[in-house]
Amino acid sequence: MPSFSRFAAPLLASLLCVAGPALAEVTVSDAYARAVPPGQSNSAAFLVIRNDADEAVRLIDAASDSAGVVELHTHSEQDGVLKMRRIDAIEIPGRGEHSLAPGADHLMLIGLTRVLSEGDSIGLSLEFSDGQRLQLDVPVKSIMATMQGMQNGHQHHAE
Amino acid sequence: MKGSPLKTLRILLVLTAFLMAGMTAAFLLRPGSADAPSLGAVRLGGDFQLQSSSGPVSLADFRGHPVVMYIGYASCPDVCPTSLAVMTQGFRRLSDDEQARVRGIFISVDPERDSPEKLAEYSAFFHPNLVGLTGTREQIDQVVRQYGAYYRIAELDNSALGYAVDHSSRLYLIAPDGSLAEVLSHNITPDELSAKLRLLL
Repeated sequence: MPSFSRFAAPLLASLLCVAGPALAEVTVSDAYARAVPPGQSNSAAFLVIRNDADEAVRLIDAASDSAGVVELHTHSEQDGVLKMRRIDAIEIPGRGEHSLAPGADHLMLIGLTRVLSEGDSIGLSLEFSDGQRLQLDVPVKSIMATMQGMQNGHQHHAE
Repeated sequence: MKGSPLKTLRILLVLTAFLMAGMTAAFLLRPGSADAPSLGAVRLGGDFQLQSSSGPVSLADFRGHPVVMYIGYASCPDVCPTSLAVMTQGFRRLSDDEQARVRGIFISVDPERDSPEKLAEYSAFFHPNLVGLTGTREQIDQVVRQYGAYYRIAELDNSALGYAVDHSSRLYLIAPDGSLAEVLSHNITPDELSAKLRLLL
């Protein structure tokens, strides 16, 4: 039906325009999910969220095509004891960024629906307090690989 | 919340007591002061027996090998794999001959979720010389006490995980004679760890 598509296309375009400017305010970089040994039902994803708006925004929910549930978690360390707890939101300051990194805030992937191996990627969606949503394709990285990356590159790699 | 306020209070008090005990232990045994692996007159370390996927294993079985030991749990998504990666990267910094002589032990304090078979698979992911062990609650608690470690099962009402395990995160460096040589922070680098291992080889 040509008349419908002629009508629908501008409508869709206008809807996208409404969402467009908002989506540009929060961006994600350096995202990865951690590869897991076979049999592991949980993993974690890490990323850097940048907020270009003046107002702070909160990450309030996340989901993945490869895990039953994705929760926001944080780590704290007190006198050598490490604790991991679920948190409701992660705030990204206005004109600032927040890193979800090993040992700190992270996305906990619970109930993996498949083994996450180095070289795979998973779908990850993020929902923010102002209604923004981001749909990401996130690479899976082995902890060994990310650790090698943190070293200064001259280490010999015995594998 | 279903329980009476009094019951909740009692649980909170018990938890607080555990927490205080743990924090005190963690403070006394914190990595910064861990060069001498002893707490006053109490000497840390010693033999123990746990289960691997291929039967009982005791520390005495590792006599003649420098051992790096870590106490954690397999569904720990971040801190434990990072520490085990540091351990095994430390191994990989060694020459092939040296590497063949070092051993790693990963002890899970979460036997409900970590069977010896699962731990075998998990450990092999990191390094062929890493074995995964667990045991009965009594056996686990004994090792934890012996090495001045700490853990607590923390119920997570708001998480699909059900519970998490709060735990100390250290690498225990054990000499070839089975004595505890040093308690290391998990923030140690693979290079520092391999240097320490070489001294024991």
